[in-house]
Amino acid sequence: MLFNSLSFIVFLIIILILYYSKLFNWTNKKRMLLLASYVFYGLWNPPLILLLWISTMVDWTAGNKLVKEENQKKRKMWLLLSLFVNLGFLAFFKYGDFLLENFVVLMNALGVDFQARPMDIILPMGISFYTFQTMSYTIDIYKKKIKPAKTFLDFALYVTFFPQLVAGPIVRAKELISQFYEPKKATINQFIWGLFSLTLGLFMKVVMADTLLSSTSDDVFDSGKVLHFWDTLAGTLAFSGQIFFDFAGYSTCAIGIALMLGIVLPDNFNYPYASIGFSEFWKRWHISLSTWLKDYVYIPLGGNRHGILRTYSALMITMLLGGLWHGASWTFVVWGALHGFYLLLERTQKKYLPFKITATNGFFLAITTWACINTTWVFFRAKDFITAKNMIASLLFLNPDGEKILELFDIIKVYTVIVILFLCHWFMRNTSVKTVAERTPAWILGVVWAIMFVLVVIAQGSGEQFIYFQF
Amino acid sequence: MNLKRSFIIAVILSLLAIGSWEMYWRSQDYYPGLEDDKELWAIQRAKLENASNDDVVLLGSSRVLFDLQLNEWEQVTSRRPIQLAAAGTTPLPLFHDLAQNSDFAGTIIVGVTPGLFFSTTYPMAMFWNRLQIRIDYYYKRTYAQRLNHKISVPLQNNLAFLTSDEEDWTDDLNLKTLLKNIRIGNRIGPGMPPFYRFQDIYSDRNVLMKNKTATDTAFANTIKRVWGFYGELMQAHPPEKDATMAFFLEDAKKFKARGGNLILVRCPSTGAIRKGENMGLPRTDFWNDLVTEASVPAYHFEDYDQLKNFDCPEWSHLSAADARIFTTELATIMMKDGALSNPKSN
Repeated sequence: MLFNSLSFIVFLIIILILYYSKLFNWTNKKRMLLLASYVFYGLWNPPLILLLWISTMVDWTAGNKLVKEENQKKRKMWLLLSLFVNLGFLAFFKYGDFLLENFVVLMNALGVDFQARPMDIILPMGISFYTFQTMSYTIDIYKKKIKPAKTFLDFALYVTFFPQLVAGPIVRAKELISQFYEPKKATINQFIWGLFSLTLGLFMKVVMADTLLSSTSDDVFDSGKVLHFWDTLAGTLAFSGQIFFDFAGYSTCAIGIALMLGIVLPDNFNYPYASIGFSEFWKRWHISLSTWLKDYVYIPLGGNRHGILRTYSALMITMLLGGLWHGASWTFVVWGALHGFYLLLERTQKKYLPFKITATNGFFLAITTWACINTTWVFFRAKDFITAKNMIASLLFLNPDGEKILELFDIIKVYTVIVILFLCHWFMRNTSVKTVAERTPAWILGVVWAIMFVLVVIAQGSGEQFIYFQF
Repeated sequence: MNLKRSFIIAVILSLLAIGSWEMYWRSQDYYPGLEDDKELWAIQRAKLENASNDDVVLLGSSRVLFDLQLNEWEQVTSRRPIQLAAAGTTPLPLFHDLAQNSDFAGTIIVGVTPGLFFSTTYPMAMFWNRLQIRIDYYYKRTYAQRLNHKISVPLQNNLAFLTSDEEDWTDDLNLKTLLKNIRIGNRIGPGMPPFYRFQDIYSDRNVLMKNKTATDTAFANTIKRVWGFYGELMQAHPPEKDATMAFFLEDAKKFKARGGNLILVRCPSTGAIRKGENMGLPRTDFWNDLVTEASVPAYHFEDYDQLKNFDCPEWSHLSAADARIFTTELATIMMKDGALSNPKSN
């Protein structure tokens, strides 16, 4: 089920009525939320709920065994079981065809005549999110950072909680499970703010991403032609805006819906396009994934504790895995590698050419950071390296002979939206929507809210999927 | 922060704005109606799962949609057909799907619009892919998508501002189309002329040409300009007669072998379209060859006095009134020929 669909509106209304009615006590409300979460997921593909159950059962069992077990070897075995099941799901469902395809290429390169038909495995929605979430639970118990969930119901709801099930934020157990222990009820202000966040998230997705930017991005990246500089730049910037609005829109909806139930989810985006430097970008973009990778990949690989070479290696491996997490394709690996390379450069600069960041140079550094990040989006969005190469060539050589495929209005529209997006991020980088809303007169907030809602209705989103569902 | 006040203001302003938006578009002669989308098509496709040998399925392009009226067909034959034709598509992928992936052994009527039927077997070609998307959707549609459609139908039937379609008509009212219609300069040339919706569709996918198309010549001319645009495009891609016929005949053989009744129909066209078809896809070389090879009952509008004198307002489709007459006459002829059986007498 998609947040930007009519069925979800009906679903949410029913859930809210049941949640706030006096029919159920807290335990039954949690049971109702769990059942609703399975319905939310099952309306897409019922049999794949089985994977959720397996992941839930394995990590629940592993978590409990890890607490009781004293023998270090056995503890490690329980941890490995959790990792094996969750990463096994990912390897099979997400990377099965990719691994097979590359195995065939390798065999052929070695002179072995081997062919294999693609397995055409269905990719379970949100598998990358809930497997990472459940793995963090088991790893944290193994490291004795957290205690296991008090009841199976609390744990199952943590794995399956519908607002963040299919596209995050990837919430840690300590942030969410403990909220399920006591009855939760949103205050009236929390409820209304949750509704505002839901509207804002839908506006970002339906109006900004799908209506204003997606077709330009699709036209350019799917054209199969060598394009004129302005078309290529417009397509690249359109995708840069689209992916932000799409994903941040989903997260904002998720946070808003949870808040309407009295549950607080962490922020996942913090105006990333105004980042000064790449390390700051990763503190502001998909925060729940970057902190997960930092805690469970980068630090275990040694982090910055074992000299420069080890630090750089850990950084690069983390970013390569981060790239691969997004999709089973070498273009995603290159995207991750470029980010890893940027981070290495930044560390080197900070070590050997440090300088003070002021308001003036900060603005230009933010633009430079943003420009470099936009270049990486070409690899992220391009379906193959030929497309990426053509686009990078058009951007670098200001290709005046390339084909023009965009109307002038489309180009102006994209550049206008993108400039406004960047300026918004710049002026909001040290504050939040809530802080700004608190300082805004009630009637202005009401007018802004109405404009967003009406534009969502007029846009008539055709229920397009969120980009991050495929990851 | 007084959120309650902001919320009340937002609700009042939203209701006022949406109400005004609806009234404005109604004042511009828009009225509520259904969208011819994938789910509407899939609902009809699903009926085939339980169809009997007495059932009739209509395949083809927009001419079958406009020209064959379900009510009139039912009156003559006592059986309501399942409408699976899709505008701007070749019927080959769907006939292939029905022949290969279903056990349906009733009657399939395939409308032959020569420019589309003989166009290509290349799966990514527009005329093929548009229908393949619907076929794939039918097999992969989720319960959520079905539910969304069920909820959207009452809204589509009551709100004019929801006028929108997968066809991307120039007069759709979603924000994307409204913005797309804004043009500054002429950076990439003239492109496709404006293509306005000229028909209404109902829940069983019965389609009627809008009265305006038959009575307003200027409006009909806008549609003719679109046909001209596609005609020029198709000139650059000569028909693939051998490939398309071979593909179709193989499926026809399989369908007939299990007892299926296959009928070919050529609906009327007039004016420049008819001239273009006669030049690029002459009947003797295309239709006649297909009928001979398929060796199934076939009905060309030119062969019957009752069918050959219709005038298509925009050269390619019949007006609602003419479509009713055409359907009655065609179904009657088929019944007389014994090409269609009467389920009541069965």
